[in-house]
Amino acid sequence: MSAPARVQLEAMGLSSTCADVLRHLWDYLDDEITPEGAGRLRAHIAACPKCQSYELYQSCFLEAVKKLRVDLGAPNALRDKLAEGLKGQGCGCWEKVRSDR
Amino acid sequence: MTTASFATHDEPGLESDASGVALGAGRNQISAGDPERDIAFERDALPWLDDVYRFALSLTRDEADADDVVQETYLRAYRSWHTFIPGTDCRRWLFTICRNVFLRSRERQRPTVDLEDGEQDAVAAGSVYAAARERGYDDIYARLDLAPALRDAIDELSEPFRSAVILVDVEDMTYESAAEVMGVPIGTVRSRLFRGRRLLQEKLLTVAEDLGFTPAGAR
Repeated sequence: MSAPARVQLEAMGLSSTCADVLRHLWDYLDDEITPEGAGRLRAHIAACPKCQSYELYQSCFLEAVKKLRVDLGAPNALRDKLAEGLKGQGCGCWEKVRSDR
Repeated sequence: MTTASFATHDEPGLESDASGVALGAGRNQISAGDPERDIAFERDALPWLDDVYRFALSLTRDEADADDVVQETYLRAYRSWHTFIPGTDCRRWLFTICRNVFLRSRERQRPTVDLEDGEQDAVAAGSVYAAARERGYDDIYARLDLAPALRDAIDELSEPFRSAVILVDVEDMTYESAAEVMGVPIGTVRSRLFRGRRLLQEKLLTVAEDLGFTPAGAR
């Protein structure tokens, strides 16, 4: 770990195991770490109130970002333009672009 | 980077050819105007039109520009259909083309930042949390509807951080899929994503303060 990161950890009064959570919580929440690593983090979080609070904070943040995915569809004007473009290239399914609206 | 016990997948993303389409040529060779190509294109590519539009809109932040990017993406996809590998993730393939079309339309905004140490940002995010907790703002995401502010903050993120956040957090892609779309190694996606998240959290903390959000302890 780099010196600046170590300083920040010490300032927060966290143990080295909490530091693992700090460094890898996003990997863990994204399901991008090994099962062994996930198990280790899970066990620590379950026993550490500070890390539980931090996990809740980060989980709520990621959930808020995910909610931004609205059911926003391609506008009809775009579908019409694309259908014409595909038709111009000889695409046989150009009408499907319009009918899917 | 990560330790062995926390290993992330760290492989290079797909390379791209000159037209910006993921390599894989020769696996789907069909002549132009072939009905088989049209059937496959309709089945595999057209269902993702809404998703590609949403992605294009998040990149361009302008409806007219998004229309142009989507139009070019699909026309290019149709022309280059022979390079699509049947059975692979067509949505990811289309997103890759879409992002390349977008970047070509804004050559000056091509990503120049190549951060490798995502852990610095992960740790820095812990400091943002500590600051939020000190001010009683550590439950803002649970208590406040920050969607409008969050949307604005993502719009203000610079590339390539915005793409990483949109692909992984909004479009729910894995690091590996986002890496293919962005044409960079997985470790680079991770570092860009972590930087983007940390910047968003800093921004939202400022927004909460500016809005006069009442800290949890003061209720």
